[in-house]
Amino acid sequence: MDLIEFFGNHTFRMVFLGTSVIGLVAGALGSFAYLRRQSLISDVVAHSALPGALLAFLTAVVVLGVNGRNMLGLIVGAVATGTLSALFANAIAARTKIRIDTAMAISLTFFFGAGMLLLRVISDGSFPGKGGIDDYLFGNASVITIADLVTSTAVGALALLLMLVFWKEFTLRTFDPVLSTVLGFRAGLIDTLMFTTIVIAIVIGVKAVGVVLMIAFVVTPPAAARQWTRTLPGMVALSGVFGGIGSGFGAYLSIMLGNVPSGPVIVLVLFAIFLISLLASPRRSVITTALHRARAREALRRALLAEGTDR
Amino acid sequence: MSFILGTSLLAVVTALACALPGAFVVLRRNAMLVEGIAHAVLPGIVVGYALTHDLNSPWLIVGAALAGLLVVLGNEWLIRTGLVTGDAPQGLLFPALFAAGVIFITLDFSHVHLHTHVVLVGDLNLAAFHQLSVNGVSIGPRYLYVMLAVLAVNVAFITIFYPKLKVTTFDHQFATVLGMRTRLLNTSFMFLVSVTVVTAFHAAGVILVISLLVVPAAIAHLISRRLSVMLVLTALFAVVGALAGFWIAYALNAATSASMAVFFGLLFIAVAVIDALATRVRRYRRAGHAGIKGLLVRPPHEEAERLDGSSPAPSPQAAE
Repeated sequence: MDLIEFFGNHTFRMVFLGTSVIGLVAGALGSFAYLRRQSLISDVVAHSALPGALLAFLTAVVVLGVNGRNMLGLIVGAVATGTLSALFANAIAARTKIRIDTAMAISLTFFFGAGMLLLRVISDGSFPGKGGIDDYLFGNASVITIADLVTSTAVGALALLLMLVFWKEFTLRTFDPVLSTVLGFRAGLIDTLMFTTIVIAIVIGVKAVGVVLMIAFVVTPPAAARQWTRTLPGMVALSGVFGGIGSGFGAYLSIMLGNVPSGPVIVLVLFAIFLISLLASPRRSVITTALHRARAREALRRALLAEGTDR
Repeated sequence: MSFILGTSLLAVVTALACALPGAFVVLRRNAMLVEGIAHAVLPGIVVGYALTHDLNSPWLIVGAALAGLLVVLGNEWLIRTGLVTGDAPQGLLFPALFAAGVIFITLDFSHVHLHTHVVLVGDLNLAAFHQLSVNGVSIGPRYLYVMLAVLAVNVAFITIFYPKLKVTTFDHQFATVLGMRTRLLNTSFMFLVSVTVVTAFHAAGVILVISLLVVPAAIAHLISRRLSVMLVLTALFAVVGALAGFWIAYALNAATSASMAVFFGLLFIAVAVIDALATRVRRYRRAGHAGIKGLLVRPPHEEAERLDGSSPAPSPQAAE
């Protein structure tokens, strides 16, 4: 199949655009999570989005009597439980002697376990539109509708807009939290805003990528982008580009391969981008470091030898 | 042995086998690394199954455990390069490995009949399906004996290396100064955790394995001040949780491992809340007051601490 044929197909176009938007938004906003060293909390949020997405499905089907898979309901539910899980983990770490990594594991298994129970309830019951509901686990980009695409693009754009509007505050809070507080910025408010944008970036991917692998979309592009750039705007932009292009290409590959969920393929593509960046970026990478070291060693050896012959 | 007895025994043994090394995982702050291991063993299991066609084969267990160890060693390597900051190294490797595992499964690469669903939550009843019998008398599921063996190895490892584990866990620098090979010990311990994860995977799935490893130990950590006490309490909570989760799931016809994960989460919340209340009452009594009012009124010295501008959170010494 060539590219013209690929983009001529409505489903393929939706898959490509949908995953690219997710990759772009998650990559750009993930940069802040990366720089604040809070990458793993994204994993907790993503897993914990499952019960929220399923509760939204149940509410829509049983109470409202509408399509259970509508994107807006999913986003609202997933943001709610995702945020709750992060607050829960932080509360455990702040109020007990349990440390944050254990607290995150407790929160993750608790919320995800609840989600798996709900999944069982839904698949045992007779709810309209429940077929393929476990796509929320690993994602299925081929069920993205135009309405979904519009909603996730709008919500993702809103998150990116928030980032641009509060760019100065986010930057200051990320790199110098003390100065930011001294200058009178409200730390709690900025943290909440920043965290909300990251949660949004995570949950818009639930339908197409699934909750289990969403962490890769938030962590991998920033880690790759960091190897190529030294400025924050450069990093956010490059991370977004890596996320967007990697996701689009991964989606294309998964369609070419046939019966393969798009999420895992995209994750592997993103990982490949990261590996290349880590090993061979010209500025900071494993190979560059090794070359520098070898050169420095050689220079030192020569200097010592020269000193020896002078005497 | 009846099916229900065999299966509930299996639940208890699996919980114990995971929870005991879990106590050290919690104390060594490796909980999220275990989350990585639990995801990363998947491709190892699928490839191992393609080669051995037996989920309980020792070759498969060791091979898949090596895939889990890849996350531990890769994490250390990424940190050493100095190119990736914060907790990101832990989040980079395991999604890629897990993704590879999922792709292997969906491509039906090895004809392993694993539903991706089962990968996440396991299936205790399916795991217990293959029964062993001696002279025509059923002696329980075959898998029970595999888990018993892992439990025995874990108990043996913890018993033999107890002093070393203790020193490296609580004072890593001191252990290094003493000349202990801390990295070797850490890697072997993580390998053992990985082996445990792989064997328990069948019954518990990725998510419950993490829950079993971390949460009983965390609950015990809340209310114990000595390592030996913590280990005993961890085992106790693991058994209670396994039985409760099993019977709740049985009564509600729900997935066993998901019920256990939720039950452990609720148990953690209950113990944390009770412990906090008890601490508050104790402190209030010591301050010269008595009665249930201590639950409702903030102790006076804590107010004073606040006015000093110091942290309102009670320090462990203050709680004592």
